[in-house]
Amino acid sequence: MEKINIRKQFANTVLEVGQQDEKLVVLLGDIGHFNMIPFAEACPKRFYNVGICEPTIISMAAGLSKAGLIPVVHTINPFIVERSFEQLKLDFIYQKLSGNIVTVGSLFDYSKLGCTHHCYGDFALLKTLFDVEILFPSSVNEFDLLFKQTYNNNKLTFFRIPEESHDVTFANIEVGKAIKVSEGDDLTIVVTGPQLKNAIQIKDYLAKDGKKIEIIYVHTIRPLDKEVIFDSCSKTKRVLVIEEHGENGGLGEDILKLIYKINDIKFEHACVKNGFIHSYGTYKELLELTELDFESILLKAKELICE
Amino acid sequence: MNNDLRKKIVDLVVSAKEGHIPSTFSIVDIIATLYKHVLKVDPKNPDWEDRDYFVLSKGHGAMALFVVLNKYGFISDDILDSYSKFGSILGGHPDVTKVPGAEASTGSLGHGLSFSIGIALTHKIKKSKNRIFTLIGDGESQEGTVWEAAQVGVNLKLGNLCVIVDNNQSAAQLMPIQNPKKRWEAFGWNVIEIDGHSEKELLEAVDKIDFEAEIPTIIIANTIKGKGVKMIEGHGQWHHKIPNEEEYKILMDELNGKN
Repeated sequence: MEKINIRKQFANTVLEVGQQDEKLVVLLGDIGHFNMIPFAEACPKRFYNVGICEPTIISMAAGLSKAGLIPVVHTINPFIVERSFEQLKLDFIYQKLSGNIVTVGSLFDYSKLGCTHHCYGDFALLKTLFDVEILFPSSVNEFDLLFKQTYNNNKLTFFRIPEESHDVTFANIEVGKAIKVSEGDDLTIVVTGPQLKNAIQIKDYLAKDGKKIEIIYVHTIRPLDKEVIFDSCSKTKRVLVIEEHGENGGLGEDILKLIYKINDIKFEHACVKNGFIHSYGTYKELLELTELDFESILLKAKELICE
Repeated sequence: MNNDLRKKIVDLVVSAKEGHIPSTFSIVDIIATLYKHVLKVDPKNPDWEDRDYFVLSKGHGAMALFVVLNKYGFISDDILDSYSKFGSILGGHPDVTKVPGAEASTGSLGHGLSFSIGIALTHKIKKSKNRIFTLIGDGESQEGTVWEAAQVGVNLKLGNLCVIVDNNQSAAQLMPIQNPKKRWEAFGWNVIEIDGHSEKELLEAVDKIDFEAEIPTIIIANTIKGKGVKMIEGHGQWHHKIPNEEEYKILMDELNGKN
């Protein structure tokens, strides 16, 4: 079977769901329209490439929800989350309306386009909205299953879909439930997004030295599965959080709040440390710059284990 | 002129020590006319599927909406009297999660028109007859989202949408919108200009609209901020001022026709 990316899976899933559910309406901000041609052809009255006006698209989507339809808004992450933040806050959350925001442009997916298109503050901003689901599905089946579970659940659900996949297929995925990928006593790695691939490589690498790493994979940032993370950290007393997000307001802060009462807990955080990233280059090069590459993260894991 | 509604507004502002009297006086005639003669709504069933929508985008005129909702049975006298008090469902801006008949929570300007476009698009998709009336301010029209929405509304051919601009010259204080009629025409809207305090002119304008056409309409309602009491008409200190005892008497005397 031809390998597809998550963006293509989004188009496939929306086509499948949209053909069954006549309430589903797609609004684009002039991105992804070629991918969405099958949906546009199948459901022409429910497909709108609205234009380059993200705040208006978000308000419109809330209006669709108000009048009984299920909006799916799709465009580039910071243009929704940052430019249209007040529309998300007031038109959706304040009014208790529901819908789906599916964004592309995770972290450095648009690495060469610079700061305007980089994305490492969305979780932090969205968390201030309280009643929002934040999902980071990083494989095709993960997106498919999570979208089908959540698209019509009367909440505002936000999807950050990355260009890279971790390439792991989980048979069972449930929104709000973290996945224990491996069991171990020496270190807990809590990881979200495509970095699961690095986490597994680190686990395998350290296994050669007899170290057993417990990996907790988090596809749902909100609501966070606190129990499984807390139990693992209580057992290993060492936790490394890996996320393609800034230091402030990301998954790492959530984990710190969760574990700070555990005696002798050791914590490390692989993330984009505070500071604006002005560099260009490939996704991989910017991961190296921000120490989110395999070698840099491995070093953090080793330091934790040796402490 | 809806002086009974204006008097209620003054009483509520004085009681709550909160409110924008001049902004509500410029729109109360428009809202009262819509609810009296135009909108297909049911106070017993505010979420009635076949209703027309009224979205108050300039949310700081909320009291004008509240007194009209009270007059037509959406909210009781007790609720109206609780305005802005602790535990009340009514505050300085409408909260759709609490107020029966309110269609949008507004307050931050520049949201209501884009929101209304979503409602109008829904009913176009559903091929239902619901009409959407949205009241925006001329000051609010300095927000960029108003003009995003102006383009989208035309592009989506939303004939079921009628926007009314409360053209009370608020914008003129700092960034005047020159010839709003020409500007909206240039954006492709069906434009009608009226005296916003004339029930007759508003009804004639609404009668002219073909809600099944493929073009949205905007009614530029020329209004006077503070209309009804000379002392507060125009722009200045009265925008968010609470009347003292002496001022209250002046307001009420004029609204009672004693001057």
